[in-house]
Amino acid sequence: MLNKSKTFASLFFQAVTAKPRLVISIGLMVIIGFASFIPDLQKDTRTDAFIPEDHPALKFRDKTKELFGLEDPMVIAVINKGKNGVFNPHTLALVDWLTKKIAKMNNVDPDRMTSLATENNIIGTDDGMLVQPFIEQLPINQQQADQIHDAVMDFPLYVGSLVSRNGKGTLITAELMDQTKAQQLYQNLLELIETAPVIDGEEIHIAGEGAVSGYMGAYIDADAFRLNPIAAVVISLICLLAFRTLRGMILPNLVVIATAAGALGLMAAFDVRFFVITNALPVVLIGISVADTIHILSDYYEDVALNPNDHPRNITVRTMERMWRPITLTSLTTMAGFLGLSLASVMPPMKYFGLFAMVGVGIAWIYSLIVVPAFLSLLKLKPSSAHKQRNNSTHTEVDLFGKVLTRLGANVIRFPKSILLLSLSIIIAGGIGASKIQLDETLIRTFDRQEPLFIADSILNQLFDGTHYLDIMIETTNDEDLFIPENLKLIENLQKYVESLPHVEGSTSLVDYLKQMNRALNEGRDDAYRLPENANLAAQYFLLYSISGDPTDFQEEVDYDYRLANVRIRLNDGRYSKLKVVIEKTQKYIDEQFNQPEITAKLSGRVNIDYHWIKRLEESHVGSIAIALLLVWLMASISFRSMVAGTISLLPVLVTILMIYAVMGYFGIWLSISTSMFAAIAIGLGVDFSIHTLERLQTLIRDNHENIDQAMLDLYPSTGRALLFNFIALSLGFGVLATSKVIVLQEFGLMVAVAIATSFIASMTLLPALLKIFKPRFIGFNRH
Amino acid sequence: MNMFIYIILLSVFSTPLFSAELMNAEEIARHINSRDEGIAVSRFLTMELTDKRGKQRIRKTHAFRKYYDDEKRTAIFYLEPKSIKDTAFLTYDYQAANKDDDQWLYLPALRKVRRISASDRGDYFLGTDFTYEDIKLETRVSIEDYNRQTIGEDEIDGFHCLLIESIPVTDEIAAELGYSRVQQCVDDQIWMVRQSKMWDLNGNPLKTIHSSDIRQVQGIWTQHILDVVNHKTGHQTKFMFSDVQYDKEINDNLFTKNTLKRGL
Repeated sequence: MLNKSKTFASLFFQAVTAKPRLVISIGLMVIIGFASFIPDLQKDTRTDAFIPEDHPALKFRDKTKELFGLEDPMVIAVINKGKNGVFNPHTLALVDWLTKKIAKMNNVDPDRMTSLATENNIIGTDDGMLVQPFIEQLPINQQQADQIHDAVMDFPLYVGSLVSRNGKGTLITAELMDQTKAQQLYQNLLELIETAPVIDGEEIHIAGEGAVSGYMGAYIDADAFRLNPIAAVVISLICLLAFRTLRGMILPNLVVIATAAGALGLMAAFDVRFFVITNALPVVLIGISVADTIHILSDYYEDVALNPNDHPRNITVRTMERMWRPITLTSLTTMAGFLGLSLASVMPPMKYFGLFAMVGVGIAWIYSLIVVPAFLSLLKLKPSSAHKQRNNSTHTEVDLFGKVLTRLGANVIRFPKSILLLSLSIIIAGGIGASKIQLDETLIRTFDRQEPLFIADSILNQLFDGTHYLDIMIETTNDEDLFIPENLKLIENLQKYVESLPHVEGSTSLVDYLKQMNRALNEGRDDAYRLPENANLAAQYFLLYSISGDPTDFQEEVDYDYRLANVRIRLNDGRYSKLKVVIEKTQKYIDEQFNQPEITAKLSGRVNIDYHWIKRLEESHVGSIAIALLLVWLMASISFRSMVAGTISLLPVLVTILMIYAVMGYFGIWLSISTSMFAAIAIGLGVDFSIHTLERLQTLIRDNHENIDQAMLDLYPSTGRALLFNFIALSLGFGVLATSKVIVLQEFGLMVAVAIATSFIASMTLLPALLKIFKPRFIGFNRH
Repeated sequence: MNMFIYIILLSVFSTPLFSAELMNAEEIARHINSRDEGIAVSRFLTMELTDKRGKQRIRKTHAFRKYYDDEKRTAIFYLEPKSIKDTAFLTYDYQAANKDDDQWLYLPALRKVRRISASDRGDYFLGTDFTYEDIKLETRVSIEDYNRQTIGEDEIDGFHCLLIESIPVTDEIAAELGYSRVQQCVDDQIWMVRQSKMWDLNGNPLKTIHSSDIRQVQGIWTQHILDVVNHKTGHQTKFMFSDVQYDKEINDNLFTKNTLKRGL
């Protein structure tokens, strides 16, 4: 069997190197072909992109959004932390100035702006009702400003939303004519506030969903333009350091270009959009795709050093005969890791990340097996200064890196039991750590903490009732059923209950408007701030409100038939762990105390969507690990024809993942988008070190007549050294992500980099120690 | 007919069309405003309000309007739907610009007449797509708010009309009205506006008002159907007038709080 495959491999690589120029030309043409699709890539920066398009929570949110005309406005916060807050003549004039300027901006709907300067007060008088602007004329002294303060604070609907409860902040919201041009408006607004007449103590911040999605586009571009060049330079430097030849630098880069062009080109060709985390794809592929070439070149240069006068084609074929198996196996396991991620993820960005990373690794494998040997057979032999023949020996000279690893190997041979013990304690600590890990995530975390958008969001959530909306759609049976006092009472109680939950700061529904009207029509008495007692009165209040109201005034609270209503709940924290409590308790309340045949409630809105997709992170994390482990174990077991071998090769990655769990549990790091993605990838990549190590040790133990110590001493300077560079390339490749401005990518890059480093160390220590102690048969020991 | 003669004939016949001076816009406005609207009118008005999803609210009312020396009084009594039946709305519009209008509303469920503060000219009227200014002007145009000019001619519903474009005199007035530009199609036979188009303060198309079923009632040209479409919100309003009577005696008592409460 071995001979047969060797014959086949030999024939295959003879064929590949027979017409190298043709092979190379085809390879280059395919790259150009892939790359030609890339300009068609479409960015998708919507926060909705994190959930599958057909998810019921998303569909229902879109339905309620359409039904109630809920928009994603720009939100401009004016803050004054002074004694009188924003209620002083200067700040109120500033609000007026901003409102007028913003109303005139391109893409702003001048009829759909709200601020202290546009809103009306409704006052109950002895004989009727007065509707008048809060700011009829700009105040000229503090006393007048105080009067405006008192009027606004006496209007419950606006406290916490239009103005902060402590009076230190007020909001201007502007709806857009065209949501797709939000990015431009956000930029224009930033420019406007630069010119605003702001005095000491006043601050202006811009936030809102509109701003977020607009801004994200520019953010991705800037990130991509920084990350990819850094990754390319770093990888080239590592190759230069490893081989100190031009071809040692260019060949890996050729594979990198093919891989990145292939993965992105195919994404474009299949109309898959470019998400925020897709930015990591080329960077990650750069690190992964060079690994195969590094191993090929290492072997090649060793052979060149030993046979300096042989024909290039012979050396190439010999190298490939030795290397195709481990390279194929490691590519397959890496692909398995990404496949696990792709299969287990529900979020489209992660799903496609896994899928196209897998495709990329496949392309790297093909190029490494076909185009790289074609190139090598064409090039004149030129020894690498990193690999020199040792005098009168079949071994090559060892450089500094090789020496360091040999020293490591000597210690492994001496203390195998200690290594085993250490690994065991990591496994136990990891088990404990894993049980402490909390699932949590929030999308605003994507942005750097220094970003104006992040700062604006924090301030809004501190001062106001919050920027995180949970909508509850109320459905009744017949038109005008919402006027029925029992139904209104149910909604009122629902709001009361939800407002009692932590992080819920406020809520709005038609109930609040009806109470306000009831109070206004009853001479403004505080005790009249309650629901009308009969259905006709509710209907008449709405008519009253419409006397000078926009026909679309209540579209956000109630549908045109008065059959459906929307209750908007505002939370000041978007973290999953907080949303979860609110969602689950509210759902329970709805099921047990609200829903009746005549009236039902259903959760909707951004908060509900976030709850649903983040909830799935846990399953996708566990699922992706399970799939990756199973696939990798299967491949390793089949390849070594031993289930023990499969299991042993997984041990280093298991220790790695458990160690990271221990760290996460100990430091309270959340299981989040980034940390849920790392494990499957770390398994697929980390196991490569085990496979290369086992593969080589099999040969070395045979060659060294089962002398494990000698076999290991031979392992470290050769395969060990190649793995070292493989690990450095991978770690730095992922490490480059740590310079990303997107926090999720930073964390993801760091996690994988650390995991790879740990896997490498475990493969170099734990794995040989295990073999030394247990002497398994698959590796070549005969137990008699 | 050879080409030469054809061109001669064409130029002879088309010349007057191009060279004729269209009537001055101010003169058109005077014609419109001097048209008889009747001192008083009684009519049934059905308001059909449609939101952008096609859901409708239909309200039937009995409405009265009477001109006095320097004011105009309007009373609207709701007949349907049941939940707002007997609700009534009374307005005194004063000519003097500095005097706020008076408004009262009777809510039967509360059994109280409540005085409502005056609405602004640009506010929407009773949940319709008309503003108070649109309603107040009825079929007239405001002379002092706009600078206007004749910009061409057109045809609407088969009637020839002159196109006039009006721009608010100042930015303040534009902000009050909510319009930055109005374009009207004026029937130069009967001097009625058959179609008006409005643009919002940023120049976005805002709404189109279309009058139809215009026929004489007791010698007075009367529009029986008014359609408004708000292009930004997708909301629509249709006013349907029936049983219009200019010659019916309308007692001054009708425009009082007592009648509001007591009903017709």
